[in-house]
Amino acid sequence: MIDAQQVSKLYTRGVYALRDLTLAVGKGEFVFLTGPSGAGKSTLLRLLLRQDVPSSGHLVVGGRSLSKMSATQVQDYRRSVGFVFQDFKLIPTRTVYENITFVPRVLGQPPAVQRKKAFQVLKWVGLQHRLNAFPEELSGGEQQRVAVARALINDPALVLADEPTGNLDPDLALEIMNLFRDINARGTTVLVATHDRDLIRRVGKRTITLEQGHLTEGRG
Amino acid sequence: MIAAIVYAFGEAALSLWRRRGASLLAVVTAGASLFVLGLLLLVGVSAGTLLARWSAAAELSVYLADGASPTERAAVERAVSASGLSAGLSYVAADEALRRFRGQFPDLAAAAATLPANPLPASYEVQLRPERARDPGVDRLAAQLRQMAGVSDVRYDRRWIDRLLTIVGALRSAGGVLAAIFAAAACLTITAVVRLALHARRAEIEIMQLVGAPLAYIRGPFVVEGTLLGLAGALVALAGLGGLYWFGRPRLVEATAGLVALGDLQFLAAAQILALLAGGAVIGCLGGLLAARTAR
Repeated sequence: MIDAQQVSKLYTRGVYALRDLTLAVGKGEFVFLTGPSGAGKSTLLRLLLRQDVPSSGHLVVGGRSLSKMSATQVQDYRRSVGFVFQDFKLIPTRTVYENITFVPRVLGQPPAVQRKKAFQVLKWVGLQHRLNAFPEELSGGEQQRVAVARALINDPALVLADEPTGNLDPDLALEIMNLFRDINARGTTVLVATHDRDLIRRVGKRTITLEQGHLTEGRG
Repeated sequence: MIAAIVYAFGEAALSLWRRRGASLLAVVTAGASLFVLGLLLLVGVSAGTLLARWSAAAELSVYLADGASPTERAAVERAVSASGLSAGLSYVAADEALRRFRGQFPDLAAAAATLPANPLPASYEVQLRPERARDPGVDRLAAQLRQMAGVSDVRYDRRWIDRLLTIVGALRSAGGVLAAIFAAAACLTITAVVRLALHARRAEIEIMQLVGAPLAYIRGPFVVEGTLLGLAGALVALAGLGGLYWFGRPRLVEATAGLVALGDLQFLAAAQILALLAGGAVIGCLGGLLAARTAR
């Protein structure tokens, strides 16, 4: 699913955020990406979300080279990727239902399809009773479940999560991780960036460790 | 495509309602700029109508010397008739000229009565054919008449109409520059307001970018918002122009003592109203595009 060959990301200050990174993540795999702050986890996720491009090397996701993409191809690629962030990134002025249907809506899907998908994913994350609530009325765990539901609504082939449990207590963190495990069990590739070693140990999946932009463990 | 348009209009309407204070300010500001644009158009239209009427009524006045003989008068009549420029010729006797003077200037009538003799000469009023009023032949005819025996002076009011046309032309050019400045001001106001909307919705835009939303969905609502603001501004400007026209027209006619007639002051034609509305929408659309170009 993900194939990185000698990927480097050099910032203008002459600092390498990633250096000669080579790794592979298979289709349907669940992988943790870990390492201390500044190790390059977020940079790799930015590259995988095509918010940035590698300075050198080749990064291929689902058979598509992320280095050579037009704006339209980037849009098309992102539609096949779900994302979850530490700060949830929910729209505060919209309800749970509107936050979730926002994705199919801006992709021009018919309202009936939007409704059907929204109820499916809300039921799946256990929030079907909160669809009219606004994000500020939800707990941190509930907000993150809404974010997960939004990531899933478009049936992505790949789900990327950047410190998705960073703002949650250990029990809620495990609950969210169980959601990711369920997502993975349905055949979706999941890549979770976290520095929570305890959580990684409890979930027990393949782990890729980065340090100072280098891969130190779990090349695959 | 239809879904994108429906989405853009829905989001734009919601955004305008949520920030109705700023939206109203933008509409009034854009409206003020478009009002000036419309006023220039209105003045241009009325000035055109007025000058056309004056041009059509352009006359050549041939003043006769005291004691001009019937033969000399007949020669003048023949010259005018032979020129082919005249639509009508009327003789105004000195007594008739004095009577007209008293009618037009009643305040001076008493003073004129104290004069020992009538100071006004007899004259011919030559009505020119409207289609030939600008013909160079009129100048040649005036010069020819001026040389004839029994003629003391020839006045051709086409000259001051030409001067007026030149002035109006210059004012129109200056008005065009002014209009461009005001259109730019309206556009920039709308850009600033739409940019505020964009700033307020940056979280949504970021999410839209991350989910791969088409550019039409990301920028569309802001372009529509600008267009609606421009259109509303044009409607405000039209309402202002309408008010000014209906209240100001009779007063202007009264103030000009009949020089300007009610019929000279026309309101904008339907095509011009549509052009002003379309102009407002285009200016707003441009403002929306300028603001939205940062969202990609």
